[in-house]
Amino acid sequence: MAEVILRNLTKRWGDVVGVDDQSLHIRDREFLVLLGPSGCGKTTTMRMIAGLEEPTSGEVWIGDRMVNQDLPKDRDVAMVFQNYGLYPHMSIFDNIAYPLRVRHVTKDEIRPRVEDAARKVELVEFLDRRPRALSGGQRQRVALARAIVRTPKVFLMDEPLSNLDAKLRVLMRAELKHLSHELMTTTVYVTHDQVEAMTLADRVAVMKDGIIQQLGTPDDIYNDPANMFVAGFIGSPAMNLIKGSIKDGDFVTAGGRRLTPTGGKENHSVVLGVRADDIRISDPGEGRLDVTIYAFENTGDSTFLTVQWGTQRIIARGGRHLRKEQGDVVSITMDPDHLYLFDPGSGSRIRN
Amino acid sequence: MTGNRLRRLFSAIQVALILVATFVMLVPIAWIFLAAFKTHVDVYQLKLFFRPTLENFGTVFDAPFLLGAKLFNSTIVALVTVMLAIPIATMAAYSFSRFHLRGETAMLVTILATQFVPAVIIVLPFFVMFRDIGLLDTRVGLIVVNLAIVMPFAIWMIKGFIDGIPLDTEEAAMVDGSSRVQMIRNIVLPMAAPGILTAGIFCFIIAWNEFLFALILTNKNAVTLPIGLALFKAEEGDLWNLLSAAGIIIMLPMFILALLIRKYFVQGMTMGAVR
Amino acid sequence: MGRAWVRPPRVRDNILKYLLVAPAVVVVAVTAIWPLIEAARLSFTVGRLNRPGSLEQYLGWENYVWAVMEEPAFWNSVWVTAAYTFLTVALTTILALALALLLAPGGRLRSGVQTLLILPFAMSPALIGVSFRFMFNPEFGLFDAFFGALIPPLANVSWLADPILAFAVCIMADVWGWIPFLTLVLIGGLISVPRETLEAAQIDGANGWRVFRDVTLPQLAPVLAVVVILKSIFSLKTFDQIFMLTNGGPGTATQTLSHYIYFNGMKYGQIGFAASVAWLMVIPMIFLTYAYAKLVFRKDQAQ
Repeated sequence: MAEVILRNLTKRWGDVVGVDDQSLHIRDREFLVLLGPSGCGKTTTMRMIAGLEEPTSGEVWIGDRMVNQDLPKDRDVAMVFQNYGLYPHMSIFDNIAYPLRVRHVTKDEIRPRVEDAARKVELVEFLDRRPRALSGGQRQRVALARAIVRTPKVFLMDEPLSNLDAKLRVLMRAELKHLSHELMTTTVYVTHDQVEAMTLADRVAVMKDGIIQQLGTPDDIYNDPANMFVAGFIGSPAMNLIKGSIKDGDFVTAGGRRLTPTGGKENHSVVLGVRADDIRISDPGEGRLDVTIYAFENTGDSTFLTVQWGTQRIIARGGRHLRKEQGDVVSITMDPDHLYLFDPGSGSRIRN
Repeated sequence: MTGNRLRRLFSAIQVALILVATFVMLVPIAWIFLAAFKTHVDVYQLKLFFRPTLENFGTVFDAPFLLGAKLFNSTIVALVTVMLAIPIATMAAYSFSRFHLRGETAMLVTILATQFVPAVIIVLPFFVMFRDIGLLDTRVGLIVVNLAIVMPFAIWMIKGFIDGIPLDTEEAAMVDGSSRVQMIRNIVLPMAAPGILTAGIFCFIIAWNEFLFALILTNKNAVTLPIGLALFKAEEGDLWNLLSAAGIIIMLPMFILALLIRKYFVQGMTMGAVR
Repeated sequence: MGRAWVRPPRVRDNILKYLLVAPAVVVVAVTAIWPLIEAARLSFTVGRLNRPGSLEQYLGWENYVWAVMEEPAFWNSVWVTAAYTFLTVALTTILALALALLLAPGGRLRSGVQTLLILPFAMSPALIGVSFRFMFNPEFGLFDAFFGALIPPLANVSWLADPILAFAVCIMADVWGWIPFLTLVLIGGLISVPRETLEAAQIDGANGWRVFRDVTLPQLAPVLAVVVILKSIFSLKTFDQIFMLTNGGPGTATQTLSHYIYFNGMKYGQIGFAASVAWLMVIPMIFLTYAYAKLVFRKDQAQ
């Protein structure tokens, strides 16, 4: 068990910047998720912690030791790979036992520990098989068991669920959550899936272009995004971002419509962010603005309305029993307590 | 209906063409197989049916032909060539596959290019050198020169196989606690073993069939099987029944080896340009 | 419990990676690069095997000048090699492509034949030469009998005694030996042409020939290029079959460059002259190798 500290960590390949001078303090026993689109530097960051990638500059600390010069094997971390990285020529037992064997753990000790790890991931009956005889979900468990069979200082997980089908992913997500509570080991988890991040993380670091955009609890990043990127990346459907200006405390769209009161200073160019959940739908004339339905989607447990005025389209969530047709007119009203304003140039949040 | 019949006719023509091609392909081989079991009388006739004899396979091992010595030479030369080439090639292939080396592309191109150097230009200086240091007509000399043709194939082929091993697995082993060398031993070599074996067989076939080096560098003690074929020329002409028996001894083991690795033959020959 | 390293581990990897390639580099340098350089040196010497000291007696470019200016036999072997290369490359490629198209669809018969295709390729080229000499024997050769029955003027012709026919037999032996390999390569190429593109073209209304010309052939082009270059290289180097089949004869009608070099170097002991011709032969190889390396590395980068 240990904390992980990154100090001014940078990774460059020639002119390409992977991670740009980032510092991050991951607390002991914390489950930290690195979240971002592909190419944002999240995997590179994790690989530098593992020692699989050498930082261009900066320091990686695990516990009270600067590990930049340590080989992966000497860092006492365990890693779960996206493609699992199982040893195809070894049985499941040998796969799980491998980290113990190379560390010269005695034979008498290996068996109970492997069996214990296998029990935790419900794999006991498969120990004699080869990886190729297992399903994707089972292989995933082998990778997990191999990580938990020893008690490393840090768990590193690189998109461990991304190769599973949607249903299995939800199941494994819950198992991971359960396991992480049980083990209470510092964990760094890389994903591009915001639902995984929201459900698993103690804290989330949202990354883009090698820079951590926001570090906070899932609550923070959902309800208090630091900038337009985080606002647009977190949440499904994505937050609506509408260009316009602030006049007399009201948000006015580019087309000149007064959309909603926001307060704040006069500003000729802002972006208004509003989540689909925070838009109320009512009959024409009853709300703030009458709009036409561009598309009506029913997901079963709720409905989504893409509405349009002028060239602007936004998406709003309707009630489960709402039924509308394409082309119908409805009225929308935004919840003034859950609006976000951003600077269109820098993307940063404008706080009143 | 007519479309259907046309299609059936078309596919019948295809099958016929395939059979003709197969026939043309197999006839020279089959003819050698037949001739090997003919007596020295029957072999000079276009007989398809005859009383088969195993006599030829005995004669080729007797004086003056002594094919046994050539068989021994061929086996030793090909085997030792492969046993030297494969470990060296495997090491290099791993490094080329997994690391960025200074001058990597230049090295790989050079290795590729040496494969295309005419054998006749390689053998001239070796002939002069071996004459001076007494390696002419020795198996050692032949092995050294054979390395020249085998190494590029071995390096490129094994590199292709190692390229196919997912990096994840190696990295997992490193994080699990192996050093680089442990990881190569425990993970990479077992996973690449089928590929390494394939490359070994491929190189064995090449060394076994090698002709020009053996022709120039040996004359008595280290003569290999393909050169041994020249023995079966008597005053009255070629001894076809014996030539055929010797031919079978040369090609049959290679047929078996080639069939074992048939899936990788193309990949090996084209050095990964076609997979 | 971190151990203290004498050197940082990255540096150890950095040393290791060069240590791993070092033996291979040494072997290739000694067995392939050194002979090339030494042959170049020899090519500038008098270089008579039976005359001591002549291997260090320098002549400048004289051997090259002699070959190019004074030796009809050299030019003869150049033309033989050129014709041989052109004909074998063209015939092998076309026939192999046809066979590959026939065999690519798979199925029991076709994959069985594909397996058999390995056999001629595993055969020593010297043995192919022997077997074709056997097959074209004017008295009891099977092919001789076949062609004789098919084309009466060819009955009982002494194939290998006639310059043109001997050359033709050499071509046939080469084509026979190489079609299987080229076919296998092309089948690989054909299989990797995505099915959807063929199906799309069919749905778009193209007939069989148009599908082949407009969709298959362009996608097969890189593999065809590999095949043509590779076969050209091997054709240029041809020696084993020729040696066993005709030994360059009758006269010098089938004397390829490799055979010419062998003869001058080994039979006449003019190793300096042979080395100069060998180096002249390397020139077209350089272009072909360059083209081939480009293809290989483009493939490498694409992955």
